[in-house]
Amino acid sequence: MLIKVPSVANLGLESIKVDIEVNLANKGLPGFDIVGLADKAVGESRERVRTAIVSSGIDFPAKKITVNMAPADVPKEGSVYDLPIAVGILSSVLEFPIPQKSLFLGELSFDGSLRHTKGAFLMALFAKEFGFINLFVPKDSANEAASVKGIKVFPVENLVQICRHFKKQDEIFPVVYKQNLEKESLPAEFDMKEILGQEQAKRAMEIAAAGGHNIIMVGSPGSGKTMLARALPGILPPLNEPESLEVTKIHSASGDIPPGGSLVTRRQFRAPHHTASLVGLVGGGSKPQPGEISLAHRGVLFLDEFNEFPRSIMEAMRQPLEDGCVTISRAKQRVAYPASFMLVASANPCPCGYALHPKKSCTCGLNQIAKYQKRISGPILDRIDLHIQVMPVDTTEFEDNQKNSEFLEPSEKIKQRVMAARQKQEDRLVSESIHSNSQMKNIHIKKYCKLPKDVESILRQAAMKFQLSARSYMKMIKVARTIADLDNSDEISVNHMAEALQYKPKNYEIA
Amino acid sequence: MCKNSGVIEIDSKEYPLALREALKNLVASQGSKKLYYKGNWDESIFKNCLAVVGSRHLTFYGRKSTEQLVTQAAAVGITIVSGFMYGGDEAAHSATVKCGGRTIAVMPCGIDVIHPPQHKKLYQEILENNGLIISEYEGDFLPQQWSYVQRDRIVAGLSKAVLVTEAALNSGSLITAGYAKKYGRKIFALPGQITSELSRGTLKLIKEGAEPVSEAEDIIKYFKILVNPVKKIAKAEVGKESTLEEKIVAQLRREAMKADDIARLFAVPVAQIGTTLSLMQLKGIIINNSGKYYVN
Repeated sequence: MLIKVPSVANLGLESIKVDIEVNLANKGLPGFDIVGLADKAVGESRERVRTAIVSSGIDFPAKKITVNMAPADVPKEGSVYDLPIAVGILSSVLEFPIPQKSLFLGELSFDGSLRHTKGAFLMALFAKEFGFINLFVPKDSANEAASVKGIKVFPVENLVQICRHFKKQDEIFPVVYKQNLEKESLPAEFDMKEILGQEQAKRAMEIAAAGGHNIIMVGSPGSGKTMLARALPGILPPLNEPESLEVTKIHSASGDIPPGGSLVTRRQFRAPHHTASLVGLVGGGSKPQPGEISLAHRGVLFLDEFNEFPRSIMEAMRQPLEDGCVTISRAKQRVAYPASFMLVASANPCPCGYALHPKKSCTCGLNQIAKYQKRISGPILDRIDLHIQVMPVDTTEFEDNQKNSEFLEPSEKIKQRVMAARQKQEDRLVSESIHSNSQMKNIHIKKYCKLPKDVESILRQAAMKFQLSARSYMKMIKVARTIADLDNSDEISVNHMAEALQYKPKNYEIA
Repeated sequence: MCKNSGVIEIDSKEYPLALREALKNLVASQGSKKLYYKGNWDESIFKNCLAVVGSRHLTFYGRKSTEQLVTQAAAVGITIVSGFMYGGDEAAHSATVKCGGRTIAVMPCGIDVIHPPQHKKLYQEILENNGLIISEYEGDFLPQQWSYVQRDRIVAGLSKAVLVTEAALNSGSLITAGYAKKYGRKIFALPGQITSELSRGTLKLIKEGAEPVSEAEDIIKYFKILVNPVKKIAKAEVGKESTLEEKIVAQLRREAMKADDIARLFAVPVAQIGTTLSLMQLKGIIINNSGKYYVN
């Protein structure tokens, strides 16, 4: 008896349909085999399926069972095929029909229950695109899949439940999508108002958040670089709908959506340690997995101690920083993951860290400092729009700061300004299919950032005086555009440009 | 590299007298050795020598003061002697060559080595301005820890007076000052803030009897060089300043500050302060150094 159960295989963010063909033959020795380029996890599903069926109180058929996964030349991986295989076998044993236009996904536990499985969201997108109606997924993954409108997602708790549903002895009701706010809206670790002093750095953070600009902070240990970065998520605007879909896809593929999770609406904040491997950061593996830069898509990638990162990793980020995506090519497959993130880097000015410290004196030799700073290559620095120096705050200033509440804005208030500025950008750039000022290419800058004469002359003057490169010149215009957006102004004025110049690339040499 | 180079033997008539006298007082192992040199050996260069030494981690204050003092001293014909290290030494040499003065660099390494190598341009400029490069070591001998100290005894020995710009406690600059004391040379020290680690050494010298320097006149007077009195030129005020700019300049004349502090002091949003500071920088009224603003 031949039964067909449809499921999907995920290649990166793409999905293709996989037919699970289950054949129970009366002739031949009893056995259970899986064919069709299955990896180890799929092969092991034999044991999971057998045990789950037995512990659900159903006799495992003593027949020669062969499972074929078609198309046979596409590698299948993971534990998602437990449920379709089990359903295929059970439909033969218990004699129920498998409904038309249905997809199955889920990992089985030995006791017959289903576990949270990655990829439910990708499968739901596939189902919608190719006209499937019913989706049977583990209960924990159901909400994630149900965020895609127009399909019925059935939350399955265990094998017995799904069999009773098919035999019409019981009914599983499709889940109603529920945006999971508690899990999503994890507030930032710090509120901006908790940070005393550092007005200019906070302002730079606001500009970076408003325009999606990359930013680098240089300062002594304990000056508050990490705190500033950790407060950043609190002022970032939430993801809009298309962005949210993009991010959820990546997280579904990497299995980063928690049980019961829903659409990712918060901008991600990823902070990998500097010992992270190249593959961990940019993605890879023989079956290419998304790396940190893709998981930070539309969010923030915070690299603390930037110049401690190996050169190879920094250079590998050059292309994604420019293109907003990374293509991982391996012998068997090529996968493109989006990686449009906002880079927030922090670094010490010298090996001992105190070169910029107002009180402590630096003990490093000039050569050491030069070598240390050279670890961040020019091309990478060139792709960073905002450069700021962070100096430690004097503890005696704290009192003054508390009094001057005008300077201590809560994150929420800054966020409102950031959101307004983002909205202006979206409206302006809507026809260019980019979202923020930082993504503007030269052609966009020419089109959308017309500089009045006096502003241009200021910039030219500055370029001469501070020896700005051509790329820096363009970046200054982008930053000025964002500052103007924050000011709700359609024109870039002298004031905007002059402020932008505060964040120009700096020469950190101490000589 | 250089056309003129050579060796001066200890008993040569050309051996600088002051140095020979100075080194006599030291133990035999530290006595005079022959001197290798590059540049034009002209005895007049040794007539009025001022040693200027300072920390390798010279602060912005130290650099500005060095430039001011050295430029004026070199302008009246005083030869500036220093050790060619980066920081204080480099500031003294560069300020001298910038105003066309003569300077002597005493190297801690062999005469054919430029150390530190990034000062190659300065090395050339010293020679172009009729300066001298001196070393006790021949060939490509690399600097050793002890040779820096040995070099210091030459720096002090060549000079009539030593000016210490900035020095931490137990630093090389204090060693030079120590030699100067032994030789009976005059010691000048640049007073600094008591909170700065790099002023501890100079303040200690002042306590021990060194003369604090507040203007180049203090040094020039000691060398008994007569100078035409210079009319003090009032600093040109920059016209059409907004009041905020004026306030900032007035504040920065008193003390260098971060943008954050300026914003807090005048209770102006930091965005506006940033704008103002940028424009002032463009006009050349102020400059930024490692995050702090100074009046230019």
